[in-house]
Amino acid sequence: MKCKAVHSKLIFFLERELPEPEMKAVREHLAACPECALFAEEMRKTLSILETEKVSEVNPYFYTRVKAKLDRQSEIQPSGIRSLVLVRVLQPVAFSIILILGVYGGVKMGATGAKTGSAFTAEQEMVPYLNEMDVEPLETFLME
Amino acid sequence: MSDQEIIEQLKQGSETAFRKLVESHQRLVVNTCFGLVHNREDAEDIAQDVFIEVYRSIQQFRADSKLSTWLYRIAVNRSLNHIRDNKKHKWFQSFEKDVEARNRQILQVESSPADHPGYEMENKQRAVILQEAINSLPENQKVAFTLNKYEELSYQEISEVMEMSVSSVESLLFRAKKNLQKKLYKCYKKKCM
Ligand SMILES: [Zn+2]
Repeated sequence: MKCKAVHSKLIFFLERELPEPEMKAVREHLAACPECALFAEEMRKTLSILETEKVSEVNPYFYTRVKAKLDRQSEIQPSGIRSLVLVRVLQPVAFSIILILGVYGGVKMGATGAKTGSAFTAEQEMVPYLNEMDVEPLETFLME
Repeated sequence: MSDQEIIEQLKQGSETAFRKLVESHQRLVVNTCFGLVHNREDAEDIAQDVFIEVYRSIQQFRADSKLSTWLYRIAVNRSLNHIRDNKKHKWFQSFEKDVEARNRQILQVESSPADHPGYEMENKQRAVILQEAINSLPENQKVAFTLNKYEELSYQEISEVMEMSVSSVESLLFRAKKNLQKKLYKCYKKKCM
Protein backbone atom coordinates (compact mmCIF):
# COMPACT_ATOMS: atom_id res chain seq x y z
CA MET A 1 0.00 0.00 0.00
CA LYS A 2 1.27 3.46 -0.93
CA CYS A 3 1.50 6.43 1.44
CA LYS A 4 -1.30 8.25 -0.34
CA ALA A 5 -3.65 5.29 -0.06
CA VAL A 6 -2.82 5.03 3.65
CA HIS A 7 -3.59 8.72 4.19
CA SER A 8 -7.01 8.29 2.67
CA LYS A 9 -7.85 5.34 4.92
CA LEU A 10 -6.18 6.34 8.15
CA ILE A 11 -9.24 7.67 9.96
CA PHE A 12 -11.19 4.53 9.14
CA PHE A 13 -8.22 2.46 10.26
CA LEU A 14 -8.15 4.30 13.59
CA GLU A 15 -11.90 3.78 13.93
CA ARG A 16 -11.43 0.10 13.10
CA GLU A 17 -13.91 0.33 10.28
CA LEU A 18 -11.86 -1.20 7.46
CA PRO A 19 -12.26 -4.79 6.32
CA GLU A 20 -9.60 -6.99 7.90
CA PRO A 21 -7.28 -7.32 4.84
CA GLU A 22 -7.09 -3.52 4.59
CA MET A 23 -6.58 -3.15 8.33
CA LYS A 24 -3.64 -5.50 7.99
CA ALA A 25 -2.20 -3.66 4.98
CA VAL A 26 -2.34 -0.29 6.78
CA ARG A 27 -0.84 -1.79 9.93
CA GLU A 28 2.05 -3.18 7.93
CA HIS A 29 2.63 0.09 6.12
CA LEU A 30 2.69 2.04 9.38
CA ALA A 31 5.23 -0.34 10.83
CA ALA A 32 7.52 0.28 7.88
CA CYS A 33 6.89 4.00 7.15
CA PRO A 34 7.86 6.43 9.94
CA GLU A 35 6.36 9.38 8.05
CA CYS A 36 2.85 7.86 7.95
CA ALA A 37 3.25 6.43 11.45
CA LEU A 38 3.89 9.94 12.76
CA PHE A 39 0.79 11.34 11.11
CA ALA A 40 -1.27 8.37 12.31
CA GLU A 41 -0.13 8.96 15.87
CA GLU A 42 -0.90 12.66 15.55
CA MET A 43 -4.40 11.96 14.27
CA ARG A 44 -5.04 9.34 16.94
CA LYS A 45 -4.11 11.83 19.67
CA THR A 46 -6.32 14.55 18.19
CA LEU A 47 -9.33 12.27 17.76
CA SER A 48 -8.92 10.96 21.30
CA ILE A 49 -9.75 14.48 22.52
CA LEU A 50 -13.36 13.64 21.68
CA GLU A 51 -13.45 11.26 24.63
CA THR A 52 -12.11 13.81 27.10
CA GLU A 53 -14.56 16.48 25.94
CA LYS A 54 -17.72 14.66 26.87
CA VAL A 55 -19.55 16.13 29.82
CA SER A 56 -19.32 13.68 32.67
CA GLU A 57 -20.35 15.81 35.61
CA VAL A 58 -23.66 17.64 35.55
CA ASN A 59 -24.12 21.20 36.71
CA PRO A 60 -26.04 20.98 40.02
CA TYR A 61 -27.66 24.37 39.43
CA PHE A 62 -28.94 23.50 36.01
CA TYR A 63 -32.58 22.88 36.93
CA THR A 64 -32.73 26.00 39.12
CA ARG A 65 -31.50 28.05 36.18
CA VAL A 66 -33.97 26.53 33.75
CA LYS A 67 -36.78 27.19 36.20
CA ALA A 68 -35.67 30.77 36.82
CA LYS A 69 -35.46 31.45 33.08
CA LEU A 70 -38.88 29.91 32.53
CA ASP A 71 -40.44 32.00 35.32
CA ARG A 72 -38.76 35.12 34.01
CA GLN A 73 -40.15 34.51 30.54
CA SER A 74 -43.65 33.80 31.85
CA GLU A 75 -43.52 37.05 33.78
CA ILE A 76 -42.56 39.02 30.73
CA GLN A 77 -45.35 37.61 28.62
CA PRO A 78 -48.43 38.84 30.55
CA SER A 79 -46.92 42.31 30.98
CA GLY A 80 -46.15 42.22 27.28
CA ILE A 81 -49.82 41.59 26.63
CA ARG A 82 -50.71 44.32 29.05
CA SER A 83 -48.59 46.90 27.27
CA LEU A 84 -50.11 45.75 23.99
CA VAL A 85 -53.55 46.40 25.49
CA LEU A 86 -52.35 49.82 26.56
CA VAL A 87 -51.16 50.71 23.09
CA ARG A 88 -53.98 49.14 21.09
CA VAL A 89 -56.97 50.07 23.24
CA LEU A 90 -56.14 52.74 25.77
CA GLN A 91 -54.22 54.97 23.37
CA PRO A 92 -57.17 55.47 20.96
CA VAL A 93 -59.45 55.92 23.94
CA ALA A 94 -57.14 58.57 25.35
CA PHE A 95 -56.97 60.34 21.99
CA SER A 96 -60.72 60.27 21.68
CA ILE A 97 -61.11 61.83 25.12
CA ILE A 98 -58.61 64.56 24.27
CA LEU A 99 -60.38 65.18 20.99
CA ILE A 100 -63.80 65.39 22.66
CA LEU A 101 -62.40 67.67 25.37
CA GLY A 102 -60.73 69.76 22.69
CA VAL A 103 -63.93 70.13 20.74
CA TYR A 104 -65.84 70.75 23.92
CA GLY A 105 -63.21 73.31 25.04
CA GLY A 106 -63.33 74.97 21.63
CA VAL A 107 -67.08 75.25 21.80
CA LYS A 108 -66.80 76.63 25.33
CA MET A 109 -64.07 79.10 24.30
CA GLY A 110 -66.11 80.29 21.39
CA ALA A 111 -69.07 80.76 23.69
CA THR A 112 -67.30 82.62 26.50
CA GLY A 113 -64.56 85.03 25.43
CA ALA A 114 -63.53 85.78 29.01
CA LYS A 115 -62.14 82.30 29.63
CA THR A 116 -60.02 82.22 26.42
CA GLY A 117 -57.18 84.24 27.93
CA SER A 118 -56.49 81.97 30.81
CA ALA A 119 -56.62 78.92 28.56
CA PHE A 120 -53.97 80.44 26.28
CA THR A 121 -51.57 81.41 29.06
CA ALA A 122 -51.80 77.95 30.50
CA GLU A 123 -50.80 76.54 27.14
CA GLN A 124 -47.91 78.99 26.67
CA GLU A 125 -46.54 78.05 30.05
CA MET A 126 -46.68 74.39 29.17
CA VAL A 127 -44.91 74.55 25.81
CA PRO A 128 -41.45 75.79 26.92
CA TYR A 129 -41.45 73.29 29.72
CA LEU A 130 -42.08 70.41 27.36
CA ASN A 131 -39.37 71.71 25.00
CA GLU A 132 -36.87 71.75 27.80
CA MET A 133 -37.63 68.14 28.54
CA ASP A 134 -36.91 67.28 24.94
CA VAL A 135 -33.57 68.98 24.58
CA GLU A 136 -32.19 68.05 27.98
CA PRO A 137 -29.20 65.80 27.33
CA LEU A 138 -29.41 62.31 28.68
CA GLU A 139 -26.16 62.67 30.62
CA THR A 140 -27.42 65.49 32.79
CA PHE A 141 -30.59 63.55 33.38
CA LEU A 142 -28.58 60.56 34.50
CA MET A 143 -26.23 62.64 36.63
CA GLU A 144 -29.14 63.69 38.78
CA MET B 1 -40.93 7.50 36.74
CA SER B 2 -40.80 6.40 33.11
CA ASP B 3 -40.56 8.87 30.21
CA GLN B 4 -44.19 8.10 29.45
CA GLU B 5 -45.30 8.99 32.98
CA ILE B 6 -43.19 12.12 33.02
CA ILE B 7 -44.83 13.30 29.79
CA GLU B 8 -48.34 12.50 31.01
CA GLN B 9 -47.80 14.46 34.21
CA LEU B 10 -46.04 17.27 32.41
CA LYS B 11 -49.05 17.64 30.14
CA GLN B 12 -51.07 18.18 33.30
CA GLY B 13 -48.66 20.92 34.33
CA SER B 14 -46.73 19.07 37.05
CA GLU B 15 -43.61 20.90 38.11
CA THR B 16 -42.17 17.77 39.71
CA ALA B 17 -42.42 16.01 36.37
CA PHE B 18 -40.60 18.88 34.69
CA ARG B 19 -37.83 18.70 37.26
CA LYS B 20 -37.54 14.94 36.72
CA LEU B 21 -37.39 15.43 32.97
CA VAL B 22 -34.65 18.04 33.22
CA GLU B 23 -32.58 16.08 35.71
CA SER B 24 -32.78 12.82 33.82
CA HIS B 25 -32.00 14.30 30.40
CA GLN B 26 -29.74 17.22 31.27
CA ARG B 27 -26.54 15.43 30.35
CA LEU B 28 -27.91 14.24 27.01
CA VAL B 29 -28.99 17.73 25.98
CA VAL B 30 -25.92 19.60 27.24
CA ASN B 31 -23.57 17.08 25.62
CA THR B 32 -25.32 17.32 22.27
CA CYS B 33 -25.23 21.10 22.32
CA PHE B 34 -21.60 21.09 23.39
CA GLY B 35 -20.66 18.73 20.58
CA LEU B 36 -22.01 21.29 18.14
CA VAL B 37 -21.08 24.64 19.68
CA HIS B 38 -17.91 23.61 21.58
CA ASN B 39 -18.40 26.07 24.39
CA ARG B 40 -19.53 24.95 27.82
CA GLU B 41 -21.42 28.11 28.76
CA ASP B 42 -23.18 28.45 25.42
CA ALA B 43 -24.08 24.76 25.50
CA GLU B 44 -25.75 25.09 28.91
CA ASP B 45 -27.53 28.22 27.84
CA ILE B 46 -28.93 26.53 24.74
CA ALA B 47 -29.79 23.43 26.77
CA GLN B 48 -31.87 25.59 29.14
CA ASP B 49 -33.83 26.91 26.17
CA VAL B 50 -34.31 23.36 24.90
CA PHE B 51 -36.06 22.38 28.12
CA ILE B 52 -38.12 25.55 28.13
CA GLU B 53 -39.25 24.74 24.60
CA VAL B 54 -40.16 21.23 25.74
CA TYR B 55 -42.15 22.64 28.64
CA ARG B 56 -44.05 25.02 26.40
CA SER B 57 -44.77 22.59 23.59
CA ILE B 58 -45.37 19.40 25.54
CA GLN B 59 -49.01 19.32 24.38
CA GLN B 60 -47.81 18.79 20.80
CA PHE B 61 -45.63 15.84 21.74
CA ARG B 62 -46.96 12.66 20.17
CA ALA B 63 -47.13 9.68 22.48
CA ASP B 64 -45.77 7.31 19.84
CA SER B 65 -42.40 9.04 19.45
CA LYS B 66 -39.41 8.74 21.73
CA LEU B 67 -38.73 11.55 24.18
CA SER B 68 -34.97 11.37 23.61
CA THR B 69 -35.40 11.65 19.82
CA TRP B 70 -37.47 14.77 20.33
CA LEU B 71 -34.91 16.25 22.75
CA TYR B 72 -32.04 15.55 20.36
CA ARG B 73 -33.93 17.20 17.53
CA ILE B 74 -34.64 20.39 19.50
CA ALA B 75 -31.08 20.48 20.84
CA VAL B 76 -29.64 20.10 17.33
CA ASN B 77 -31.89 22.77 15.83
CA ARG B 78 -31.19 25.28 18.55
CA SER B 79 -27.45 24.66 18.41
CA LEU B 80 -27.38 25.06 14.64
CA ASN B 81 -29.29 28.33 14.94
CA HIS B 82 -26.78 29.49 17.50
CA ILE B 83 -23.91 28.63 15.16
CA ARG B 84 -25.60 30.41 12.24
CA ASP B 85 -26.14 33.53 14.33
CA ASN B 86 -22.49 33.61 15.33
CA LYS B 87 -21.08 32.78 11.94
CA LYS B 88 -22.18 35.90 10.09
CA HIS B 89 -18.83 37.62 10.36
CA LYS B 90 -16.63 34.67 9.53
CA TRP B 91 -17.35 34.09 5.87
CA PHE B 92 -13.83 34.61 4.64
CA GLN B 93 -11.90 32.87 7.37
CA SER B 94 -10.29 29.59 6.42
CA PHE B 95 -9.96 26.60 8.68
CA GLU B 96 -6.19 26.95 9.13
CA LYS B 97 -6.48 30.67 9.86
CA ASP B 98 -9.06 29.94 12.56
CA VAL B 99 -6.86 27.31 14.17
CA GLU B 100 -3.81 29.57 14.07
CA ALA B 101 -5.69 32.50 15.54
CA ARG B 102 -7.18 30.47 18.36
CA ASN B 103 -3.94 28.70 19.19
CA ARG B 104 -2.18 32.03 19.34
CA GLN B 105 -4.82 33.10 21.86
CA ILE B 106 -4.19 30.01 23.95
CA LEU B 107 -0.46 30.71 23.98
CA GLN B 108 -1.12 34.28 25.09
CA VAL B 109 -3.61 33.35 27.79
CA GLU B 110 -1.31 30.71 29.25
CA SER B 111 1.10 33.38 30.44
CA SER B 112 3.92 31.21 31.67
CA PRO B 113 4.29 27.71 30.30
CA ALA B 114 5.83 26.68 33.63
CA ASP B 115 2.38 26.88 35.26
CA HIS B 116 1.07 24.08 33.14
CA PRO B 117 2.52 20.79 32.19
CA GLY B 118 3.25 20.67 28.48
CA TYR B 119 0.74 18.00 27.66
CA GLU B 120 -2.13 20.08 28.98
CA MET B 121 -1.31 22.87 26.56
CA GLU B 122 -0.87 20.35 23.78
CA ASN B 123 -4.30 18.92 24.51
CA LYS B 124 -5.85 22.36 24.45
CA GLN B 125 -4.34 22.99 21.04
CA ARG B 126 -5.50 19.61 19.83
CA ALA B 127 -8.99 20.38 21.07
CA VAL B 128 -8.94 23.60 19.05
CA ILE B 129 -7.85 21.79 15.89
CA LEU B 130 -10.54 19.17 16.34
CA GLN B 131 -13.26 21.73 17.08
CA GLU B 132 -12.35 23.85 14.09
CA ALA B 133 -12.21 20.78 11.88
CA ILE B 134 -15.68 19.73 13.07
CA ASN B 135 -16.96 23.31 12.72
CA SER B 136 -15.85 23.39 9.12
CA LEU B 137 -18.02 20.39 8.19
CA PRO B 138 -21.29 20.91 6.31
CA GLU B 139 -24.21 21.05 8.78
CA ASN B 140 -25.63 17.58 8.13
CA GLN B 141 -22.25 15.90 8.47
CA LYS B 142 -21.55 17.86 11.63
CA VAL B 143 -24.82 16.77 13.21
CA ALA B 144 -24.38 13.11 12.29
CA PHE B 145 -20.79 13.09 13.51
CA THR B 146 -21.64 14.80 16.80
CA LEU B 147 -24.53 12.48 17.58
CA ASN B 148 -22.34 9.51 16.76
CA LYS B 149 -19.25 10.64 18.66
CA TYR B 150 -20.49 12.69 21.58
CA GLU B 151 -23.69 10.79 22.20
CA GLU B 152 -22.65 7.42 20.80
CA LEU B 153 -25.92 7.06 18.97
CA SER B 154 -26.31 4.17 16.55
CA TYR B 155 -26.91 4.82 12.85
CA GLN B 156 -30.53 3.81 13.40
CA GLU B 157 -30.99 6.34 16.23
CA ILE B 158 -29.30 9.09 14.23
CA SER B 159 -31.57 8.34 11.29
CA GLU B 160 -34.60 8.86 13.56
CA VAL B 161 -33.31 12.16 14.95
CA MET B 162 -32.35 13.48 11.51
CA GLU B 163 -35.39 12.00 9.78
CA MET B 164 -33.45 10.26 7.03
CA SER B 165 -32.58 6.72 6.00
CA VAL B 166 -29.86 4.71 7.70
CA SER B 167 -27.88 4.57 4.47
CA SER B 168 -27.94 8.37 4.23
CA VAL B 169 -26.56 8.54 7.77
CA GLU B 170 -23.82 6.08 6.81
CA SER B 171 -22.86 8.19 3.86
CA LEU B 172 -22.92 11.40 5.94
CA LEU B 173 -20.59 9.86 8.51
CA PHE B 174 -18.29 8.52 5.82
CA ARG B 175 -18.00 11.96 4.23
CA ALA B 176 -17.62 13.65 7.63
CA LYS B 177 -14.65 11.43 8.48
CA LYS B 178 -13.09 11.92 5.05
CA ASN B 179 -13.35 15.67 5.49
CA LEU B 180 -11.94 15.60 9.00
CA GLN B 181 -9.05 13.49 7.81
CA LYS B 182 -8.34 16.04 5.09
CA LYS B 183 -8.39 18.93 7.56
CA LEU B 184 -6.20 17.14 10.06
CA TYR B 185 -3.72 16.26 7.36
CA LYS B 186 -3.59 19.87 6.20
CA CYS B 187 -2.98 20.94 9.76
CA TYR B 188 -0.29 18.33 10.20
CA LYS B 189 1.50 19.40 7.01
CA LYS B 190 1.30 23.10 7.80
CA LYS B 191 2.22 22.47 11.41
CA CYS B 192 -0.66 24.53 12.73
CA MET B 193 0.12 23.39 16.24
ZN1 LIG C 1 3.83 6.04 4.24
